[in-house]
Amino acid sequence: MNSSRRGSRVFVALVFAVLIWAVVYPNFVVLIESVRTEGGLTLTRYLDFLRTESELRALWSSVWISLATVALSALVGVPLAFLFAGYEFPGRRALGALAAMPVLLPPLVGVIAILFLYGESGIASRMIQGILGLEEPPWRLQGAFAILAVHAYSMYVYFYLFTLAGLARVDPAVFEAAASLGAGRLRTLVRVTLPLLTPTLAGASLLTFMTSMASFSAPYVLGGGFRVMTTQIFNSKLQGELGVAMVETVMLAAVSLLILWPLSRWEGGREYVAPGKGTRSVRVRVSSRWAAAGVALVAGLGVALLVLPHLTLLLVSFVPDGSWTTQTLPPVYSLENYVELFSEARTLRPIINSLIMASAATVAAVALAVAVGQLVVRWGVRGKKLLEGLLILPWALPGTVLAIALATTFSVSQPLTLRWVLVGTPWILMLAYTVRVLPLTGRAALAGFRQLDPSLEEAAASLGAGPWRTLRRVTLPGLLPALAAGASLAFVTGLGEFVASIVLYTHRTRPISIEILSQLRDFDLGAAAAYGVLLMLLVAGAFLFGQRWLQGGTAA
Amino acid sequence: MKRHLIGITLAVMAVAFGCGDSRTVLTVYSPHGKEQLVLFEERFEALHPEVDVQWVDMGSQEVLDRVRSESANPQADVWYGGPALFFERAAADELLEPYRPSWAGSVLPEARGPGDHYFGVYLTPAVIAYNSEAVDSAEAPRDWDDVLEPRWKGEVLIRDPLASGTMRTIFGMIMYRSIQETGDTAAGYEWLRKLDAQTKEYVLNPALLYQKLARQEGVITLWNLPDVLRVQDRVHLAYVLPESGTPVLVDGVAVVRGAEQGEWARAFVDYLGSVEGQLLAARSAYRNITRTDIPDDSLPDWLVNVKRELVPMEVDWALLETRGREWMRYWDASIRGQGVR
Repeated sequence: MNSSRRGSRVFVALVFAVLIWAVVYPNFVVLIESVRTEGGLTLTRYLDFLRTESELRALWSSVWISLATVALSALVGVPLAFLFAGYEFPGRRALGALAAMPVLLPPLVGVIAILFLYGESGIASRMIQGILGLEEPPWRLQGAFAILAVHAYSMYVYFYLFTLAGLARVDPAVFEAAASLGAGRLRTLVRVTLPLLTPTLAGASLLTFMTSMASFSAPYVLGGGFRVMTTQIFNSKLQGELGVAMVETVMLAAVSLLILWPLSRWEGGREYVAPGKGTRSVRVRVSSRWAAAGVALVAGLGVALLVLPHLTLLLVSFVPDGSWTTQTLPPVYSLENYVELFSEARTLRPIINSLIMASAATVAAVALAVAVGQLVVRWGVRGKKLLEGLLILPWALPGTVLAIALATTFSVSQPLTLRWVLVGTPWILMLAYTVRVLPLTGRAALAGFRQLDPSLEEAAASLGAGPWRTLRRVTLPGLLPALAAGASLAFVTGLGEFVASIVLYTHRTRPISIEILSQLRDFDLGAAAAYGVLLMLLVAGAFLFGQRWLQGGTAA
Repeated sequence: MKRHLIGITLAVMAVAFGCGDSRTVLTVYSPHGKEQLVLFEERFEALHPEVDVQWVDMGSQEVLDRVRSESANPQADVWYGGPALFFERAAADELLEPYRPSWAGSVLPEARGPGDHYFGVYLTPAVIAYNSEAVDSAEAPRDWDDVLEPRWKGEVLIRDPLASGTMRTIFGMIMYRSIQETGDTAAGYEWLRKLDAQTKEYVLNPALLYQKLARQEGVITLWNLPDVLRVQDRVHLAYVLPESGTPVLVDGVAVVRGAEQGEWARAFVDYLGSVEGQLLAARSAYRNITRTDIPDDSLPDWLVNVKRELVPMEVDWALLETRGREWMRYWDASIRGQGVR
C-alpha cells in the first residue's frame, strides 16, 4: 500500500513536471524577454504598446473575430451534428463523413483553396460575375468578414465532431424517460440534451475561441489592412523588433487567458454523468419518403458547399504551370504536377517528416492527456485546476510564439536548468506539435473521463483488478470514442501544422506545409495544389481511421 | 496496441532521420527562387560530387530573421541573396563570418562589404512592371511618380513590403528622395500615402503577386528586374526602367557565422563570383553581375540593353540602414491600408 502510494506520488509529480517544462517554462522565457533590455528590466515597451492605437485596435479585432467565430461555428456545427446523429435518411453515413471535410484542409491549404475559389479572380467569383454581367467582381475576399468566413468554415468542425461524440455517449434511455414523463421535443432538448452536452459544447467553444485567437494563415493572407495580434507579432519579428514581438505576445496571451478563465469555469461547473447501461442509441428514421428526400437534399447541398474548396484544390492541381490566366475555369489540364511530384526524390521527404512528427506528437499528447484526466477527474489530486489549465494553456499562445519560445529556450545546453540544444533537430518540432495538440487530446480526454461513469471502475476495483488493469481493461476502452476524436484531430493538426513549423523547421525536417509554401513562392500553384491534395488524402486516411474507432467504440 | 505504435514510430523515425546519402550537406538560405537555386545546386554538385547542396527559399527579410533566430545554433551555411543593407545589419549583429573570396578584387567597389562580411554578386535594379496584355507599352507609367496618376487607382498590386528586400529598398528610395529634396520625411510619407491609396492589395508572396497580375486583378506593380524577366513569359509582364533613375541594390552573399560546413560555404561563395558562376547567372537566371572583367559580347542581349538604359539612382544606403526600420514601422502603423479605396 505504502509503495503504491509513493508510486502514485511520483507519477503525479512527473506529470506536473513534464507539463510545466513543456508548456510553461518556454513561455516564462518569453515573459522575461519582453521586459528585458540590454540595460536591465523595463516596462517601457508595454507603455508604448498601450499608447499605440493600431496595436490596441489589432487586439480588439482578435477578440471580436474570435467571439464571432465561436458563435458562427456553433450555429453551423451543432445543428449539423444533431441532424446526422438523430435522423436516419438515405446517404446519411456518406454525407456525415463529408460534413467533417473542412478538417482535411490544413490552415494554409484551406485559405489558398478558398482564395482560388472565392478570391477576386477565383472560379466562383468570376462565374457569378459572368452570369450577372457585372463590371466588377461580386465581392472582395478581404478584411474581417473574409477572415470570419474562413474561420467559421474551418472551425465549425470542432463543434460538429465534439457534439457527435457527446451525443454518442448519451444513454438514449434518458430521452425515453423524458418522453414518458411528458416532455416535448423542445423541452427535452433544452432541459435534457443540452445540459448533458454542456461539457462537450464548452470544450468545443474553448477550442474554437483559442484556435481563432491564434489563427494566423487567414488574417495573413486575407487580412488586407485589417490586423489581428498574430499578424502584428509576425510583422514585428520580421522587422527584427523582437522585444515588441514579445510584448505583443504577452498581451495577446493575457487577454486570451482573461477570456478563457470564465469559460473554463463554465465548463467545469456543470458536470453531469449519464449512467451507462450500454444501450445503443436509436436514430429516428425519417418516415415519409418525401421528407427523407428533403432532408437528404438539404444535407447534400450543405455538404456540397463545404466540399467546394477541396474540389477547387483538386482542379487546380491538374493545371499546368502558368496556363490559367484570365479564364473563369482553367483551360488546360494535365497530370504534369503529379508526375513531377512523384518523380522528384526530395518530394517524399516532407511527407515522411510530417507523418512521423505528427504521429509522435499525437501519441505523446494522448498519453499525457490520459494521465492528466486520471489525475484530475478520478484521483482529484491537489492542483487539478492547475493541471487542467496547463492542458489548455498552449491555445492561449499563438504557434509562432510557442515556436520562438521553444527556439530560445532550447538553443543552449544547460542540463541543470533542463535546457538542451534541440534547435535544428526533429525533436523540437515534435515538442512543438505535442504542445500545440495537447489541448485537443486534453479536452477530449477530460470530457471523456467526465462522461464515463466512475462506478464501472469502482466495480472493476472491487472485483480485484489493479489500477493498471482497470485502466487498460475498463477506463481506456470507455474513453476510446473521446480519445479517438481527440487523437484524430491532433494528428490532423500535426500533419498540416504551419505556424510553428515555419520558425522551427530545417531543410532536413521540413514538413509538408513548408514544402507547399515553397512551391507557392515559386509560382508553382498547380504543384502546391497537388501537394495540398496529397496532404488532404493523408489526412482523410487518418481521419477515417479515427472515425472507425469512434464508431467501434460506441458499438462496444 | 499503443506499444506497437510507439515501436513502429521509433523504427520509422530511425529509418527516416538516420539514413540518407553520405554526402556533406551544405545548407543555403536564399530568396532567389527554385529555378536559379536548382541551377546552381546542380553546377556546384557537379564540381564537388561529395557535397549535397540543400537550399531553403524565402524572402530576404525572412532570411535575416531566421539567421538571427538561429544564431545560437546556426542551421544555414551560406546566405545567398538579399540587399546589401540586410547583410550590413547582420554583420552588425555578428551573424556573419568574414571571408574574402578569391574574386574580391574583380567586382565593383560597392560590391565589397566592409570588414569582408559579405560581397555583392549581382546588381538588382527596381523596376515598374505591368501586365502587357492589359496595358499598352505607350500607356505604361514611365517614372515612379506616374504610378500615382489617377488612372492607376486600384490597379496597383504590391508585394507585402515588410517581408521584401526589393520593396523596402523602393520605399527607402522614396524616403531618401524626400529628405534629399525637402530635408524632411513628410513628403516621402505623403508619397507613400498616395501609393497606398492607389494600391489594391499588398500581396503575401511573389507567387500570388504574379498570379494576381496574370489574372489582371491589378495591372501595375513595383518589383525587381530579374524576377520580372524570369516570369515575364508566363505572366505577360513587361517592365519600365524609371526615367528619373532607379535604386540598384547590391545583392550579396555571405558565410553564416558558426556554419557547420564553413569550408564548403566558402567554396560556394567562391563559385558564385567566379567567371563561370557569374556567366551562368547572367545567361540563365537574368542576373546583372558585379564582376567588371567580363566583356559585353559574352553577356546576353537583354543585359547589354539594361546596362545601356539603366539610370542608377544615388541612394544613401547607410541612411536606409539606420532609419529603414523606423520608416517601415511608421508606414505599417499609420499609412498601410489608410488610403481610401
